[in-house]
Amino acid sequence: MSSLRHFDVILRPLVTEKSTRIGESNQVVFAVRRDATKPEIREAVEKIFGVKVVSVNTLILKGKTKRFRGRLGRRSDVKKAIVRLAEGHSIDVTTGI
Amino acid sequence: MQITEMAAEGLKREYRVVCSAAEIEERVARRLQELAKTVRLPGFRPGRVPLPLLRKRFGASVLGEVLEQVVHEGQRRVIAEHALKPALRPKIEVTSFEEGKDLEFRLDLEVLPQVPEVQLGAIELVRYVAEPDEERVRRSLENLAAARRSYAPPATPRPAREGDQVIVDFTGYLEGQPFEGGTAQDLPVVLGSRTLLPGLEDAIVGRSPGDEFEVEVDVPDNHPRREIAGRKVVFRGRVKEVREPQPVAIDDELARAYAHESLADLEKTLRERLAEEYRRRSRERMKRQLLDQLAERYRFEVPQGMVELEFETIWKQLREEMERSGSSFADFGRSEEEVREEYRAIAERRVRLGLILSDIGTKNQITVEPQELQQAVLREAQRYPGHEREVVEFFRSHPAALEQLRAPIFEDKVVDFIFELARVREEKVSVEELFREPDEETATSEAPATVATPAAGEGAKPEEAEAARQESA
Repeated sequence: MSSLRHFDVILRPLVTEKSTRIGESNQVVFAVRRDATKPEIREAVEKIFGVKVVSVNTLILKGKTKRFRGRLGRRSDVKKAIVRLAEGHSIDVTTGI
Repeated sequence: MQITEMAAEGLKREYRVVCSAAEIEERVARRLQELAKTVRLPGFRPGRVPLPLLRKRFGASVLGEVLEQVVHEGQRRVIAEHALKPALRPKIEVTSFEEGKDLEFRLDLEVLPQVPEVQLGAIELVRYVAEPDEERVRRSLENLAAARRSYAPPATPRPAREGDQVIVDFTGYLEGQPFEGGTAQDLPVVLGSRTLLPGLEDAIVGRSPGDEFEVEVDVPDNHPRREIAGRKVVFRGRVKEVREPQPVAIDDELARAYAHESLADLEKTLRERLAEEYRRRSRERMKRQLLDQLAERYRFEVPQGMVELEFETIWKQLREEMERSGSSFADFGRSEEEVREEYRAIAERRVRLGLILSDIGTKNQITVEPQELQQAVLREAQRYPGHEREVVEFFRSHPAALEQLRAPIFEDKVVDFIFELARVREEKVSVEELFREPDEETATSEAPATVATPAAGEGAKPEEAEAARQESA
């Protein structure tokens, strides 16, 4: 996998109340491509941030159905990756990549 | 916060203020905590944003805010703790600051001087009083009459004389070509009124109706029309009619033409108007005496910053005036340095007088009432016919401009107040005497600067008057 692809896999860090909470147990949350696999995510995070990844958990958040001008529409799905980092490693999620 | 006085010389004060890094840090933290309660950030409910995140996002701006606050507070404390009355806004210069280090800044300021107690009773003034004499009233009546003079052809045709009105046609030629604005048809001209180019009127004197004339005229260099200024122009034309002035009777009818019941009535108005003018002039001279005495008797150090500011203002005015009239320092026979020196002295005098007057005003609780200010606004508005509403609106929305109006009113009130208390001697003088400029050096005798607005006062400076004369020549 080329290094450019790494940047394609990871879309953005998710900075929310929940993600900062999880951050306390040395886990970081990212939005990733819908078709990214766990090994891909692991590799991308390790290469981009220069950290060691212990495990990756993923989930796909289904987009909500919203009405717009009386018509149904659907927000796009988001795949989230919760990455556990090895002890002593950390990523500053608030500074961009 | 540590404040050290570095220098105190005359009216100048210099302070060094140091604010420790810890103190700054504490203020930043406090401010962030305050922010945390209200700030809205996507992904967080208000009040739930973690501090480290906030610091990342807003740290820099909060730091700036805190620094500003610290400097402001430092300034306030310096002034409060040393009980200073600064003349102008203090100059602040940050000597050193880096994040995580102490903030150190210098504060330069000048304090208002202690204005000596003015012994108002010791001031001696002369009020020059002049009565409007009948001669002058008569002359203004004649002027009014002349404005209504009518002209009629004499019974037997005769050549034109000075004072006659002639009807003429003429065409002006510049190098054989008629030029724009040099042509007139059926133009009524009063000979000797100098409405036409010099030389042209002279050429018409002595001509009879029907006479043709041709004259070459040297146009003066300063003629407003560039293309003919300083050139020779030939006028060819014909006198069509000569009319002689009709006597205008100074009687009740003339008075009625000027909206008065009778001649006596009109005379009364004129007399009052003259008297009013003399009163104004008399007050002006008294004020000048007062200012001269104050400036002479009460010497004290004045803040250089204020002098500088005042100097800049009048200097700029002078330069603009000179630019307009195209004159140079050489025209006054002095170098720029000398003129500068002189104007600096004027500036200092104005500042000193401003300080004295405002001190007297404050000590005696003289204030400018809102109605007085309102009246001043209306007066100002009347100077721009057709735009009264805009002017009033302008003053309403620009308090600073209103402040400019306040200053002269305040000054007038203080001056009036002093007139009441000073020893005033009346002296009857002739009208010429009243309008004569006092012999002593008058260059420095003008309205003082006012502390609230160190803008220029009224009273034309001799140089300006000089420039104006040149312009009108």
